[in-house]
Amino acid sequence: MAEKRWLTALSEGDPNALGAIYELYGERIFRYTFRMLGNRTDAEDATAETFLRVVRRSAELRADGAFRTWLFRIARNLCIDKLRQHKLMELPPDAQYSGAEERTTLRVTVHQALADLPLEYREPLIYCDLEEMSAKEAADILKISVPALKSRLYRGRRALRDKLGSAMERTP
Amino acid sequence: MNNDLFKKLVDLYAGHELPSELEQEVESAAAVDSTMLVEMTTMRNTVDTLQGDPGPEFTEESYQRILMKLYARGAAIQPKAPSPAHLQYHLPIQG
Repeated sequence: MAEKRWLTALSEGDPNALGAIYELYGERIFRYTFRMLGNRTDAEDATAETFLRVVRRSAELRADGAFRTWLFRIARNLCIDKLRQHKLMELPPDAQYSGAEERTTLRVTVHQALADLPLEYREPLIYCDLEEMSAKEAADILKISVPALKSRLYRGRRALRDKLGSAMERTP
Repeated sequence: MNNDLFKKLVDLYAGHELPSELEQEVESAAAVDSTMLVEMTTMRNTVDTLQGDPGPEFTEESYQRILMKLYARGAAIQPKAPSPAHLQYHLPIQG
């Protein structure tokens, strides 16, 4: 309900609306862009740019439940642009996790293996396994069918498992 | 069991998508088939590891920096000053 109210307010030019929408979605978009880009600085830039585009395109807003898909599509397009720049500049990813040493080592290994996967496999894993979206929502963001999404998801999981090798043979 | 069906079952098992009765049947079959057992275990561990990942931390600094970037680029949003340190903790009053 809060989302619908603030989206309506944003489309009507309410100056408080952007702050409220950032409060609702800022953390999720930051986490998503960090997972796509692998470093905090780029994730912060991409998150800010995502919300700026929301304001610029607020005339397109529809408070009908499709907002989250639309928002993630904006963030995704920005991440893909940045990844192309990364390829040119070869920026190193940040170490992003803290915690017990063994768990941290595994997470860094998983993060690196994930980063090495082709984007076609990595994105379904980010949406469905890390961001806990439904297959339908992930398929809508990627503009593909649900069976195509599931096929990429399953192949991505296998590819990740193969990269992780013996680390996945023990009980987590 | 043909290869495609085997892979499909493992995929569904890994993602916790099988009904519990079928999951038990698959586990029983895997108990006497070491190849299947390794495949099922490693795939499920991969999915569980991903799903248990807490993700990067959205720190107060990141929150503020994003707000500042939005503000600096003319968005109608106000950067908020972080809470002063002395207001973040409530110490018990002694005596």
